[in-house]
Amino acid sequence: MIQVFDLNVEGRELFSLSFGDIVPYFSVYTGALAAFVIIFILIAIFSLPERQMNIAFGGDAYYAKEVNVPDMRFSRFMAIACGAATLGAMVTGDIFNFTLFAVMVGITNIGIVAASGNKHVLNAAFQYGIVAMLATVPLFGGAALILATTGSLSIWVLAGAGVVPLLAKALLVLGVMGEGIAPLYIGKAEIIRAQGAPYVLMIHFSSLLLFLRVIEIVLVI
Amino acid sequence: MIEYILAAIFAGLLLHGIHRKVIARVQGRPGPPIWQEILHTLKFLAKETWIPKTASQGVYVGVVAISIGLWVAAFALLMAGESLLLLFALYVLHKIVEHGIGLASGSPYTKFGAIRSVVSAASELPLLSSVALIYLITGSLMLRDIEAYQVINGPLLLPALPAAIALYMVILSKIHYGPFSIVEAKELVSGYWTEHFGVWRGVMNAAFGLKTFVLLYAFVMIFIGPVGVPVALLLVFLLMISLSFVCAATPMLAPYDSVTVQTVTTALVACYIIYLGVFA
Repeated sequence: MIQVFDLNVEGRELFSLSFGDIVPYFSVYTGALAAFVIIFILIAIFSLPERQMNIAFGGDAYYAKEVNVPDMRFSRFMAIACGAATLGAMVTGDIFNFTLFAVMVGITNIGIVAASGNKHVLNAAFQYGIVAMLATVPLFGGAALILATTGSLSIWVLAGAGVVPLLAKALLVLGVMGEGIAPLYIGKAEIIRAQGAPYVLMIHFSSLLLFLRVIEIVLVI
Repeated sequence: MIEYILAAIFAGLLLHGIHRKVIARVQGRPGPPIWQEILHTLKFLAKETWIPKTASQGVYVGVVAISIGLWVAAFALLMAGESLLLLFALYVLHKIVEHGIGLASGSPYTKFGAIRSVVSAASELPLLSSVALIYLITGSLMLRDIEAYQVINGPLLLPALPAAIALYMVILSKIHYGPFSIVEAKELVSGYWTEHFGVWRGVMNAAFGLKTFVLLYAFVMIFIGPVGVPVALLLVFLLMISLSFVCAATPMLAPYDSVTVQTVTTALVACYIIYLGVFA
């Protein structure tokens, strides 16, 4: 049987822990990704948010926005939860767990954005929520298809077997793109009006990391 | 290892200087001396430094450390012949550096640079299609295996020409003064890194020099194969000159045009991959 690390995709094995057929593992690739997630969680825990500079209309004055402490605490909690979910998605060796972590990233991303009281920001959070909710259909659909066709959701078992339908892989990628589409909404409104660093940064970070992990999964299974 | 890293940073900064010189000469200007970027970096490293009052201090300093850490790791994996997928991941994480630098200070200029960085996330897609095509042809993503494949079967440049073009586009999108350099356009002062000065700027200059060297050297490793260090450095130099000509002769695209060009490139490579998968 071909093992994950026989495929020459993600570097050598660093660690694996077998729970029956479900095997959480660290390769050089997933280990590096997990290390970056931990660094960003620490930044989210210990770093205070930026104070945005705003221009006052009708003159040349500018001022720094005040940080609302309760909102900041909520954003920080959501950012840390988002980091934890991202870390889970990096570590897991099970496709269903990966989809659950991806959805949790989507939910916490909405929370980070929704902490702001600004109506434009809340509008963006609402729209993102709809996209994230719709994305769960292809995400769980992809996982269900894999289970139905192969009888397993273990990345370790499916690695190199070549039995996963292309449609299931495409659905998985589509679902992750939906959950991680938040950066497009950042580009739209809230980046200007909500505090950016370090909480909104976590949205973009988690989305990119999910994308990187799903590519590895799709190449391996 | 440290001497190799310092040499690579020096080479990268020198390439930046050559890049500026070639652009200037193509445009009929004398241009700065080719060691100007090295002098810039040394100057910044010796300047007085502090953190703006409005900045998120952890992010402001952290992303600078992450930027140099990322590209040192990328250089190390290049030397060790590790996974191309990991190189792709480090390149994608560089987007977080751009984003974080832009968001950290509180300045509207850097923030717009960060927004453009997010919008231009499409610049990662051509690299993904390159990685996929190389995996399809060689059956491995380990750089040492890709080099070994080329020793037996010849350079990948022609068999994987669409992937080479896509990677060339990726490097072009990260080079200064290029058609896709919307994240540091002059209407945003210096874009996402406007508010990073002094030692922070010096370290980032060094990191970006290393980034340029790593990307160009990776191109040579992936598409030409093992040719020895002197020939590889000559090819890196020629590649840089070609990029400089493109930058000198091409105006900066509007943000959405930039994204469109990169997405279309990815789509063309994806079509080629599907064609190979189905018919080849």
